[in-house]
Amino acid sequence: MNNNVDMSVDFGGLKLAGPVFTASGTCGYADELGDFMDLGCLGGFITKSITVEPRKGNPTPRIVETDSGMLNAIGLANIGLDNFIEEKLPILGGMSCAVFVNIAGKSAEEYIEVARRLCGFEQIAGFELNISCPNVKKGGIAFGTDPVQVAEITKKVKKAGGGKKLMVKLSPNVTDISATARAAVEAGADALSLINTFMAMVIDIESGKPVLANRTGGLSGPAIKPIAVYMVNKVYNEVTKGTGVPILGSGGIRTGSDAVEFMMAGASAVAVGTASFIEPASCEKIAAGIEDYCSKKGIDSLKKLTGSLC
Amino acid sequence: MAKGSFTATIGYNKRIGKSFYKIGLEFSGASAEVFADVKPGQFVEIDLCHASLPADNKIPGELCDSAGRNIILRRPFSFSDIAVEKGKTTVEILYCTVGPASLRMSNLEAGDSVSVIGPLGNGFGMPEGKTTALLVLGGTGAGPIIHLAKQLKNYPQIQKIAFVGARSVEDLPFEKIADCIGAEGGDYLAEFSGTDTQTFVSTDDGSVGSKGFVTDILYRYLKQSGVERREIMVYACGPEPMLARVAQIAESENIDCQVSLERRMACGIGLCQSCAVECKAGDSGQSIYKMCCKDGPVFDASEVVF
Ligand SMILES: Cc1cc2nc3c(=O)[nH]c(=O)nc-3n(C[C@H](O)[C@H](O)[C@H](O)COP(=O)(O)OP(=O)(O)OC[C@H]3O[C@@H](n4cnc5c(N)ncnc54)[C@H](O)[C@@H]3O)c2cc1C
Ligand SMILES: Cc1cc2nc3c(=O)[nH]c(=O)nc-3n(C[C@H](O)[C@H](O)[C@H](O)COP(=O)(O)O)c2cc1C
Ligand code: FES
Repeated sequence: MNNNVDMSVDFGGLKLAGPVFTASGTCGYADELGDFMDLGCLGGFITKSITVEPRKGNPTPRIVETDSGMLNAIGLANIGLDNFIEEKLPILGGMSCAVFVNIAGKSAEEYIEVARRLCGFEQIAGFELNISCPNVKKGGIAFGTDPVQVAEITKKVKKAGGGKKLMVKLSPNVTDISATARAAVEAGADALSLINTFMAMVIDIESGKPVLANRTGGLSGPAIKPIAVYMVNKVYNEVTKGTGVPILGSGGIRTGSDAVEFMMAGASAVAVGTASFIEPASCEKIAAGIEDYCSKKGIDSLKKLTGSLC
Repeated sequence: MAKGSFTATIGYNKRIGKSFYKIGLEFSGASAEVFADVKPGQFVEIDLCHASLPADNKIPGELCDSAGRNIILRRPFSFSDIAVEKGKTTVEILYCTVGPASLRMSNLEAGDSVSVIGPLGNGFGMPEGKTTALLVLGGTGAGPIIHLAKQLKNYPQIQKIAFVGARSVEDLPFEKIADCIGAEGGDYLAEFSGTDTQTFVSTDDGSVGSKGFVTDILYRYLKQSGVERREIMVYACGPEPMLARVAQIAESENIDCQVSLERRMACGIGLCQSCAVECKAGDSGQSIYKMCCKDGPVFDASEVVF
């Protein structure tokens, strides 16, 4: 362990012990990963998207591997708000890092309902607003592509969420991601999370049908990393720089050096998704990799890394 | 001991047919203990991303296209045998080369190492209180069933009969098949040697054993068997249509039945929810999704919606 690097992060006023988050939907409800790594390495934990009612999710196949990536169409399968409060909140209460609950819904009212019911729990540091899920018919991405709707839902959930931090998760499936980013920031978002997955399709040429039962899915993994780095840098330069609104960068991060790229581009912290499937201790290794890099380069605080791109 | 991420050393990797192989994964130290009591039906997730492909001229023609695909995810494989020595546990996997990951696996040599996550899943329940165990397998479903047959040696009082199915003789994942099987089966297959398991074989094309589906010989057997239905346990592993038919037969005959299912898995450890299995939610007529990797891969056949 190198003690000469300050790994803490000021995340929009929230003090984090480290810069690495688990990405929504890729780390169960936290109990699963404990067998593989010390959860103390995490700066933040983001839950699977929670909706008011339980959701079964899509039929299988729900995933398919692609060259350097994968498509998923899980369909926001989750246990619903009531079960989440009863069964999972107590587990999350035991975590030392900042817990963000990812919220999804079919209508603005549903998002508000989840935020309203959860805002009283002190084990929750904040909410991540999923307005960018490509795998549900209604809601999700519809909110996420129109700046007017992004602003509106951000305002409403911010109000319903009491004093909790609100992080808005942006969709990359837009012409100009700075437009939705700006809308969220102006409407009061405390942080931005980017990017979610890209709409994509894989076809089975034997059957002539899409491989996924949902037909389309979201592309994640190393394949999307360079685009994600570009988008983080674009939003940092055009929207958040100087505002104090931090960016949680994600998309294909597998190593410490991947994470350093995101931070140089403008991210204050990073989220790791697909990489945890291949290596369940990814978050721990990535945190160590970032620290190693800083130590070698004589960078004593992560703040100096964020947005340091020449 | 709990599951975890471990390094295994390849003990051997031998070809046993057109596209079947047996690979021995050796675990030493703490991991030897973790794997010493794996149950039949449990599985591991192997990282084959860093293993290299065979040379161009050693890649079977039908796999040339898919061999070009880069892989990033681990692959699930169940066990076909286990050998425990002092300080060392070797688990064997019976596998078939079907795509880029399994092709890479076939190129591993003794002494190579791979990263393995496991042991995962629940495994088959033992046939407590039964007098007869019927083992039904198709294709690569052979692995866990062979492992099970070996485990059932601990139940000498139980009668064991295996029903083995494949498209054709070449698709049977066994060594020296022709030597031991007559037209109607009933002999002992080398793989089951020492397990006291009688074997009936069927192939779709009749190239060995009886012509037809394995579920047909299972059905015929049950029709002429006088064993009390509640004293029988059926175990099945293989392609999903085969499992669906086995489950249907078990239900109509009122026999307990366990099936081992396969799903595409991104993680194998309950993180991603990719491996959903549709199950009946009580008698409500509704269904829920369970996770094949955590809640399975072995399910009570009566619970699954096929
Ligand atoms: C719990 C479990 C246990 C398994 N045990 C064994 C075993 O003991 N021996 C063995 O040979 N194989 C086993 N398999 C299947 C094995 O995981 C796949 O054959 C392997 O992932 C193929 O990888 P590949 O890259 O070579 O081929 P891919 O290109 O990934 O797949 C080749 C073809 O198989 C299909 N496929 C891939 N994975 C699956 C799956 N899980 N279910 C259905 N179709 C699939 C693909 O659609 C494709 O058409 C098991 C699978 C599971 C889920
Ligand atoms: C299997 C799977 C399930 C996901 N589920 C959710 C989800 O419920 N809510 C959400 O906001 N994002 C979800 N995501 C998106 C990830 O959180 C992340 O933004 C994306 O995968 C990009 O990061 P990665 O390349 O590191 O995986 C999911 C991704 C995967 C692969
Ligand atoms: S494979 Fe990820 S939850 Fe089962």
